[in-house]
Amino acid sequence: MNTGLDVGSTTAKIVRLESGIITASKVVPSHRWKELLEDGNKRDTVETVETIGTLETPETTGTVETIGAAETVETIVSTGYFRKTVPHTAAITEITAASLGVRYYIPDAQVIVDVGGQDTKVIDLRNNTFLINDKCSAGTGAFLELAAHYFDIPVESLGKLHTRASRCARINNTCGVFAISEMISQLVGGYTMEEVICGIHQAFARRIAQMIPPVETVVLIGGTVLNTGIVESFESIHGSTVVVPPSPQTVNALGAALYGKKLRPEK
Amino acid sequence: MTDTVGITALIPPELVYACRHRPLDVNNVVPTSQINPRSKLCAWTAVWRDEIMEGWLDIDSLIVVAGGDCHNALVDGQKVALSGVPTHYFFYPFDRDPDYMTSQLKGLARFLGGIKDKEMFHTISRLKEKGLALDQLRVDDRARASDVFSALISFGDMQGDPAAFEEVLDTIPRTDVEYSSRVALIGVPPIYPDFHEVAEGFGLHVVYDELPYEFVRLGGNDLQGLAGSYRNYSFSGPIVDRIELIRQELDRRRVDGVIHYTQFACHHTLEDEIFRAHLDYPILTVQGDLPRPSSEQLKLRLEAFSEMLEVMP
Ligand code: SF4
Repeated sequence: MNTGLDVGSTTAKIVRLESGIITASKVVPSHRWKELLEDGNKRDTVETVETIGTLETPETTGTVETIGAAETVETIVSTGYFRKTVPHTAAITEITAASLGVRYYIPDAQVIVDVGGQDTKVIDLRNNTFLINDKCSAGTGAFLELAAHYFDIPVESLGKLHTRASRCARINNTCGVFAISEMISQLVGGYTMEEVICGIHQAFARRIAQMIPPVETVVLIGGTVLNTGIVESFESIHGSTVVVPPSPQTVNALGAALYGKKLRPEK
Repeated sequence: MTDTVGITALIPPELVYACRHRPLDVNNVVPTSQINPRSKLCAWTAVWRDEIMEGWLDIDSLIVVAGGDCHNALVDGQKVALSGVPTHYFFYPFDRDPDYMTSQLKGLARFLGGIKDKEMFHTISRLKEKGLALDQLRVDDRARASDVFSALISFGDMQGDPAAFEEVLDTIPRTDVEYSSRVALIGVPPIYPDFHEVAEGFGLHVVYDELPYEFVRLGGNDLQGLAGSYRNYSFSGPIVDRIELIRQELDRRRVDGVIHYTQFACHHTLEDEIFRAHLDYPILTVQGDLPRPSSEQLKLRLEAFSEMLEVMP
């Protein structure tokens, strides 16, 4: 069994793989990440992998209790911002995790866009290059949080409200501070909340589209893409076909679990 | 050999020594400087400018490499000049014209009071041969990239004392290097003092430092010889020449991936697209600004790049 644990800035995710099949997956807020390793996850043996490839010996190893024989081999591969502070057999970056996870569903994927809470990553699998925007909140989940906070609504409701808009307010700025004042002037100018949210999604999509190389198909992942307003806006602005894999929020945890499989193939 | 001559980029150090002055590459103090520059575009020039103007960096005169190098340096150099430091401006020819190059070298020699010790040409040549051998050692995995980088980058001024510098070169440890991937570092040198160590920590063996490698160009033993060599300083001419040279070196050094370091507010940043279009290797672009130890953001990029080179098909 291979476990992938993705502890990011906003949410923590776990995926378990048995015989190459996903047998469990769960998402909790980041501060409750420990819950993911409790209960059903305790019974396995966690071993330190020391001699595979050129991987470093992990700094922290799982403290899960040991029962039974050593054949019940498990790897916990962590990823995400806190990958090095949670129990792990090996820790990999979100870039590698996303690449492996997406390929599980879409073997010929070309470009992946991972919209995270604090950063956005564009991975071009055609030439193994990537770009990370982590300098400003524009084009990250934090930007949408800000908009939701202004309307005093949960961020999860933005997608649904977007579908109710009959037109889109134009929002040019993706800098959080300026976007809010633009939102206000559009509201004062007669646009509804739904129409302004639509405008926010389009501004967000424009910002992300700037980071993406020319390509026919883009795979979008990350919790933010559960918001259909984002996906729709992105598709119309970038002009590419957008593919969202099943469970886009747990793809990186899946990729981490798959990496564990590479380290220690199941017997 | 008494006067200390600040230099802002590559000029032939053998000429400065031959004129009986001590060169000091003002960039070498930047990565560990405590200065918070007052007004800046690129931190490299802003920091050495303030270091000089605050009197922290003690130089008697300054040579600003402007043409073929950097307009930020030209402006910040003039600020230094206005503060009273005798300053000379040195221009490389974009078209690599040997006569123009010779006239620039003659002008430089005049500013420095004329050539007095021709023997220094031979001395520095010999040291550069050692530098080239050292560079080859890391290509052959027998020296750490961080050690070789700090040696090569010092060839701009030979640390102000060729004899002592030769001893430094002779004591650089020969050691077998283990790594997961071989990478080239192109662009201007990183402003982070620990960049090579951090890369090594992620299994990246830097086998080519583009700019520092230019510092070990063999010069010849007179102005004509120097002109013949330095007119080919790759950063000063058309980018197609640079691409050609980089391609050769990537091939010769069996590189797996390329890191393009760019500096905030530097025109070289605009070259990134060109390299991406013309170099057929995985490329990681990183950008630095102020001199600091490597940030977590940079580390994430290096770690991910290392994983990509190792894990991805
Ligand atoms: S990094 Fe660019 S802007 Fe800065 S000194 Fe060098 S060439 Fe000039």
